[in-house]
Amino acid sequence: MMKKSIVSIGLALLIAGCNATTPEKPMTLKEQYEAALARTQAAVKKAASVDGEWRDIRWKKSKKKYLPKAIEAAKAGDYEKALKLLKIAEFQAEMGYKQAMAEKDAGPHLYGL
Amino acid sequence: MRKIATLLLSAGLVAVSTQAVSGPKEDLEKFRTYFEQKFPGLQLDEFGNGVYALDASKRLQWEAMEEFPPYEEFVDKGREIWEKPFKNGKRFADCFGKDPSKVRVKYPRWDAERQQVVTLELAINDCRKKNGEKPFKWKKGPIAWLSAYLGYEARGQKIDVKIPNDPKALEAYEKGKHFFYAKRGQLNMACADCHVKYPGHFIRGNLLSPALGHVTHFPVFRAKWEKKSKSGDGLGTLHRRYGGCNKQVRARPFPAQSEQYRNLEFFHQYMSNGLTINAPGYRE
Amino acid sequence: MTSNNHRFSGLAGSLLLAAGLVITAQASAAEDPVSAGKKIAFDRKKGNCLACHQIEGGTLAGNIAPPLLAMKHRFPDKAKLRAQIWDARKNNPRTIMPPFGPHRILSEKEIDLVTEFIHSL
Repeated sequence: MMKKSIVSIGLALLIAGCNATTPEKPMTLKEQYEAALARTQAAVKKAASVDGEWRDIRWKKSKKKYLPKAIEAAKAGDYEKALKLLKIAEFQAEMGYKQAMAEKDAGPHLYGL
Repeated sequence: MRKIATLLLSAGLVAVSTQAVSGPKEDLEKFRTYFEQKFPGLQLDEFGNGVYALDASKRLQWEAMEEFPPYEEFVDKGREIWEKPFKNGKRFADCFGKDPSKVRVKYPRWDAERQQVVTLELAINDCRKKNGEKPFKWKKGPIAWLSAYLGYEARGQKIDVKIPNDPKALEAYEKGKHFFYAKRGQLNMACADCHVKYPGHFIRGNLLSPALGHVTHFPVFRAKWEKKSKSGDGLGTLHRRYGGCNKQVRARPFPAQSEQYRNLEFFHQYMSNGLTINAPGYRE
Repeated sequence: MTSNNHRFSGLAGSLLLAAGLVITAQASAAEDPVSAGKKIAFDRKKGNCLACHQIEGGTLAGNIAPPLLAMKHRFPDKAKLRAQIWDARKNNPRTIMPPFGPHRILSEKEIDLVTEFIHSL
């Protein structure tokens, strides 16, 4: 009886363990895109809030416009292209924010005045 | 209790006096001294001629250009705009006073009521709105013509921006100053990088102008803008130029007359106080 | 419509041909890192090194920064030159030189090629 239950507990653990290591269903490209879009939009907002946004993220006269072009690509079903563009936009937004923070105390003293 | 109050008060005084040491007046002195030392022998007013004060051969071409200036017809158009009554019968003179030569020197100014910097262009459109007219577009066309006319009428007078001792006005000035010295954009450049550190140097084929004297000749007539315009109108406002500079360092430009650019103008014009207005100017 | 289609297929054919030529050109450029690097260095939208540096073979160069010559002498260690191109702020925090690597103005591969070219000067 004892032996049996140990075995069954062991079995249960094994099953549970197997369940835990079973890889989750991978995110579809569309899901990846949606997550990346939300992240990028938040990063752009953050950069803009400190006047640190760069030219080519979404400015209407930019030839690159990474963010709106990513959205366009996704609408056309090309999620791979959209993700590629979002990666650039998110990076630029993060760097713009970082730059503005690093320049917080910029002033004439840095230019020998 | 009273002791604490006195202590706090004196601490406050100390804070105020240290602020005064690095206030606008001291900034201006250091700024001007820096440029005078960088270009020894150059008369203060010569800085208003920008790169033409630094390069003799460019100056010759420029002087030839200024004999029959391409901006003249647009200054005339500005005069027509100044004189033409609005639909309600009023004119710009009802907003700015009768004498068109007395307008330019009053701007940019700190408006204590609105708690913001008011530029000449902002005041022009305020006047139109007040009289039931559609505001002009900000960067070129009629607003630049009128601004150029008012600059032309003010030629010979000195830039005289006043920064009142009002914490909000000082804050606007400090924000403009910070904008000028902070690196921005993917190329990581500040206004000061080109126009304080390297004026007189060439960036590719272009000679960099000193920041001292920039504002005296705005609105400016640029050959580059003239080429882009179907009607040969190369006039543009100071904020149009700010946008162009920001774009070149790959930062997202701010809109003309945004708070950022108005504050920048407040600082930028103040730094040229005492220099003679020679607007509009011709530039490459 | 048919004649249009014909024209299009003709056009497509020549485009393909042209594309083929471009690819071969790129392939041969890739074989020569110095000339590939030169193209990037001189391109106004890429390295735009001429904005500030004089370089042999370049016209209308700026004079904000030192002319680029005798580079093997100045940078016996190529890795040091690459590091300077990648981020000049390491040596001078307020430099006007753009941080080509950290701001991804150029890709790592492009910086490799530009380094090859500059080191050859």
